Amino acid sequence: MSDDQMVTIEVDGRKLEAKAGELLIEVTDAAGINIPRFCYHKKLSVSANCRMCLVEVSKVPKPIPACATTVNNGMQVFTRSPLALAAQKGTMEFLLINHPLDCPICDQGGECELQDVAVGYGSDVSRFVEGKRVIPERNIGPLIATDFTRCIHCTRCVRFGAEIAGIRELGATGRGEHMEIGTYVEKSIDSELSGNIIDVCPVGSLTSKPARYQARAWELVQREAVAPHDSVGSNLHIHLRRNQVMRVHPKDNESVNECWISDRDRFSYLGLYSEDRVTRPLIKTEGQWKECDWQEALDFAAQGMKKARGGDGDQIGALVSPTATLEEMYLTRKLMGGLGSRNVDSRLRQGDFRGEESAPWLGQSIADLDNLNGVLLIGSNVRKEQPIFAHRLRKAAMEGAWVGFVTPFELDMNYRAEQLVSSPAGMISDLAAVAKALGLSGSLVDDAEVSDVHQRVAEKLKTAEKTTVLLGNLAVAHMDYSLLRHLGALIADATDSVLGFLPEAANSVGARLVGVAGGDGLDSLAMLNSPRKGYLLLGVEPDWDFWNPSLARQSLSEAEFVVALSAYRSASLEENADVILPVAGFTESSGTYVNAEGIWQSFNGSVKPMGEARPAWKVLRVLGNLLDVADFEYNSSSQVLEEARDSSTIQPGGNSSTPGELNVRTPAAGLVRAGDVPLYASDALVRRSNPLQKTNDAISAAVHVNPQVAKDGGFSAGDQVMVKQGNTGATMALVIDEAIPDGCARIPAALSGTGELGGQFGEVTLEKA
Amino acid sequence: MANEVCLRNLDQDRPWLLKRYQAAGGYEVLSRILKENTPPDEIIEEVKASGLRGRGGAGFPTGLKWSFIARNAPGQKYVVCNSDEGEPGTFKDRDILRYNPHQLIEGMIIAGYAIGATVGYNYIRGEFWEPYRRFEDALEEARAAGFLGKNLLGSGFDFQLHSHLGAGAYICGEETALLESIEGKKGQPRYKPPFPAHFGLYGRPTIINNTESLASIPVILEKGGSWFKKLGVENSGGSKLFSISGHINNPGVFEIPLGTPFSELLEMAGGMKEGSKMKAVIPGGSSAPVIPGDQMMDLTMDYDAIAKAGSMLGSGAVIVMDDSTCMVKVLERMSYFYHEESCGQCTPCREGTGWLYRVVSRIENGKGRPEDLALLDDMTVKIAGRTICALGDAAAMPVQGMLKHYRDEFEYHIEHKRCMTGG
Amino acid sequence: MKALRDYVKSLFLLELMKGLGLTGRYLFKKKFTVQYPEEKAPISSRFRGVHALRRYPNGEERCIACKLCEATCPALAITIEAEPRDDGSRRTTRYDIDLFKCIFCGYCQEACPVDAIVETRIYEYSFENRQEAVLTKEKLLAIGDKCEAQLAADISAQADYR
Repeated sequence: MSDDQMVTIEVDGRKLEAKAGELLIEVTDAAGINIPRFCYHKKLSVSANCRMCLVEVSKVPKPIPACATTVNNGMQVFTRSPLALAAQKGTMEFLLINHPLDCPICDQGGECELQDVAVGYGSDVSRFVEGKRVIPERNIGPLIATDFTRCIHCTRCVRFGAEIAGIRELGATGRGEHMEIGTYVEKSIDSELSGNIIDVCPVGSLTSKPARYQARAWELVQREAVAPHDSVGSNLHIHLRRNQVMRVHPKDNESVNECWISDRDRFSYLGLYSEDRVTRPLIKTEGQWKECDWQEALDFAAQGMKKARGGDGDQIGALVSPTATLEEMYLTRKLMGGLGSRNVDSRLRQGDFRGEESAPWLGQSIADLDNLNGVLLIGSNVRKEQPIFAHRLRKAAMEGAWVGFVTPFELDMNYRAEQLVSSPAGMISDLAAVAKALGLSGSLVDDAEVSDVHQRVAEKLKTAEKTTVLLGNLAVAHMDYSLLRHLGALIADATDSVLGFLPEAANSVGARLVGVAGGDGLDSLAMLNSPRKGYLLLGVEPDWDFWNPSLARQSLSEAEFVVALSAYRSASLEENADVILPVAGFTESSGTYVNAEGIWQSFNGSVKPMGEARPAWKVLRVLGNLLDVADFEYNSSSQVLEEARDSSTIQPGGNSSTPGELNVRTPAAGLVRAGDVPLYASDALVRRSNPLQKTNDAISAAVHVNPQVAKDGGFSAGDQVMVKQGNTGATMALVIDEAIPDGCARIPAALSGTGELGGQFGEVTLEKA
Repeated sequence: MANEVCLRNLDQDRPWLLKRYQAAGGYEVLSRILKENTPPDEIIEEVKASGLRGRGGAGFPTGLKWSFIARNAPGQKYVVCNSDEGEPGTFKDRDILRYNPHQLIEGMIIAGYAIGATVGYNYIRGEFWEPYRRFEDALEEARAAGFLGKNLLGSGFDFQLHSHLGAGAYICGEETALLESIEGKKGQPRYKPPFPAHFGLYGRPTIINNTESLASIPVILEKGGSWFKKLGVENSGGSKLFSISGHINNPGVFEIPLGTPFSELLEMAGGMKEGSKMKAVIPGGSSAPVIPGDQMMDLTMDYDAIAKAGSMLGSGAVIVMDDSTCMVKVLERMSYFYHEESCGQCTPCREGTGWLYRVVSRIENGKGRPEDLALLDDMTVKIAGRTICALGDAAAMPVQGMLKHYRDEFEYHIEHKRCMTGG
Repeated sequence: MKALRDYVKSLFLLELMKGLGLTGRYLFKKKFTVQYPEEKAPISSRFRGVHALRRYPNGEERCIACKLCEATCPALAITIEAEPRDDGSRRTTRYDIDLFKCIFCGYCQEACPVDAIVETRIYEYSFENRQEAVLTKEKLLAIGDKCEAQLAADISAQADYR
């Protein structure tokens, strides 16, 4: 029987068409026939343990679960016959006997599947007069609150961990009535997708800890948004109460985020209510910050920019956060253009600007990732960079796809993958060796030494049907990014693979479309290396958002005038800026993000900006007026969007890479820093979300080296060491980590304590502090 | 005639040794099959002809079960023996493991040959330490003698057999929970279909049979299916081990032909204890509904006769109770067992067994309410037939049986807050 | 004839006497009126006066911040904010009732699963400024503490009808 053969079944007298082999519950769901269920979830395996979806099927004497029954031609199903109803009501009674019925204090109350079904199938009075089961509260970390007394043992959370998150962190221990969901040994749930168990839990056993007890379902107003952190562009539902974001939920979008979102997207909203939000404009006069009104601040900013510009527009530049909206980016570029400057860039963490590349598309649709047969990821810790992409790739891997990584330190995987771990310089030679194994030649490639591993990678990419070569954040930050990209493109070309990028931020692609990245002005490194007299910063924090924070601070402090549009005041911003204009944060402003696939996703503001903060596009619009830039009369962000869309000529499509000069900059000997940006340090909002900062993924500044390097330097674990990088230096703890190869020191960037150092990649020396 | 199949070697000294087993003609059937390269279909037909029904409790025809396996499908297939003898009242497989392990080994090898499996597992109940040791010793002997391993007796057929000691869970006697347990997972039954014949151990086609069923195979093939069938009666071929216990003089394991009158079995077990009168009999292990003693005396021990009387032959665990027994107390103890042994996977059993136990316990302890019997009736209907495995039915049936035959005792308990029997 | 009859009537003040007779009768009848504020009318145990928040006998506040009263209030008079207290229990941080909005329908006390918000027998209250019309959590608890004996008695008297 082929899978797409159609059969006809009859449900409650209604004739339905279905694919042979489809589950009965899928067919009835599609037809809008409601069968109560708890353990069934469309994205999880079938376990048929809750027994709530029992229905009567002709010629079967006993009621059978709709979630585990495949349809057959001519099958007659009765979902509300006396037998089916008796079975469903019987199950409901059993489910409720040990349930505490503490709905008034349960955060799930009002949006609880058990409540809903109990209204339909429960009875008014309980016949159970015995004592109920009680399970003490368990602490499973800062994100998820537990109350397993309410648990109905559907095991959706357990299956989510095993099947989607890829780590079995929760399990059901004990037998019979003593069965309990838990971690067995007390530990926190560390998956980067863990928050989704809040959504899959049909009762109030797993709820959001940060939102605990703060709002009831019926008080919340739902708005739509797009996640601002990574290039997936996950679709979100924002739940508001009295102009405050109470929580964030995923919005189903099968082609983007399915029904999942990462913890970063779910819990970052708490950063909105950080104490260092700027709520009134600030100007610095004689080294002192003072609050003022918008008029004064805008005049001050316009005057300062004009003065710094002098007669030469090239003397000023704009550094834009890649999480800014498309409208903000477009206006920034237009504003700078009006002042005669082409110096605008959002590629703040790129380490090498040689050569040319296309826009950093994924090169394929996001859903395509599921069906790949072979993937080579270059410099990508995708699980901690774009968790939803990692989930998609894991799905492919579970279906048998080969996944390989070229990485400067060994990655923690939740599926089987091949990792070529080598120092930053070794990454280049590894790729060159793979290229050579594919029979390619040219400079870089000819000198490579090919080993079995390289041969195998080449073989896998060549033989697998649908393959792709993806470049991640660590590749972009590499001081020889252009070489990695060039070699990746060569390999992709030789193996008929799609060349793709895993863009770092929500609008990395959008920046390219409106000329903010890859324009004809100076790039971000050049703007800092040959300091400008004036800078415009949009949503940027000097210590944490630059490839080389020391250089950034130095150039900014030497500038005559720095205007910062920011939602937060951080120490490094206060030190280097002359005026801080408070702008709206996530959910407070309308805008558009273009995700990795190239989908333009626009959203409206959901809440009013805090205090006197205003959406950045409005601020830029007024600055444009004050600076007499032509055609700056926008009344809405959609006008800006329209103009930006018309001006953009780049369409999603194949990626290309043109190499620049092919000399290797990465030192081959000595210790070279590999500076990744940790999951919860990626942007200003995340850095201020307290619950996320309490998770195990929120690491603190440290230098990670392997035991041999530590031994050679005479260090032991936990020592405070002085890290010297060029003319910068910082003291931090030393961590001995087997995952780091020889010649490499992993020193994460964007953390307090590593902002004193230089570029994310570069030679470092370690000394005892 | 007794002791003709599984316990046919009991008259020997240390019958568990390989040399004793071989002296009595052991492994000859296997040797013949391997030498003659008997077509597997012939073996399966012979087993079908014997009328052998699963001896673990469900009574599914063994030959039919074997024929469901796609013999020629590529990849590994498995033979699994279920020696997780957990049913309260049953202690027959223990004696096969202790006294006749080689016959089981031979039976499993033949089963492997018949379905094209090269690996077998014997899942032994966690508490069976002595039988486990003895079975392990027998495996060593068989390996040394070339009955297990590669290229058995030069035939080109490979078969390796491992024993696996359980950890003391009743539910692991359920075939799919047993498979999960062997795989190293929590012992929880799988939803069926797919049945183990298609998706069994490690997802491969698997047959699972009871120890007694597999141990009967060599004898069936030696003496012929029709000989075995004729031992018993229509629809209940062969002989069967009965573990009889309770208020009798000589409790133990007896191998008798199916269809033997219960009164004869009782006589073999030495009759009722002095001065006691039979009150009730549970004919097939604690999951089987109880039958009043006088009714039982008229029955023969075979599948159909017991089923007609409203109970099951089950695993052949006959529990005899005299008139000093309080049936409420009996049911409380049994309900407690199922409450403790429910795996907790599906709702009616996880929640229902605990509730059943609490209500029965309340009645036993003088806190019963008049509406409790109706509640018990209703609960058993809501548990039975609505769970993934048969444990739900197993927990509900004894309650239904007790309430059918001894409702008055329960009512007396509720009304007078004490026992009718004075116990 | 008619003129003569009218003349006699008015001469002897017959109409007046009739009226005075009626008044006189009521002068000696049982009185209906009470001398408020010296005297008070009797009050039903179902009376819906100003609100109070009750406590358990051990002093713990009853309210668990379920917000059912807020949801059911037809006049939107109740405003609640909640968060976990240090001991992890669910408690309100704000519980305001705006008496200008309140229509004293009693839905809040009917919705309350723990008998925390109740309406007392108090009907004598006044405000000197508008802010006072908002009963805060502290004020409500104070009223509850003051009236607890009466409230407990009233609720138990009504227990059979709820």
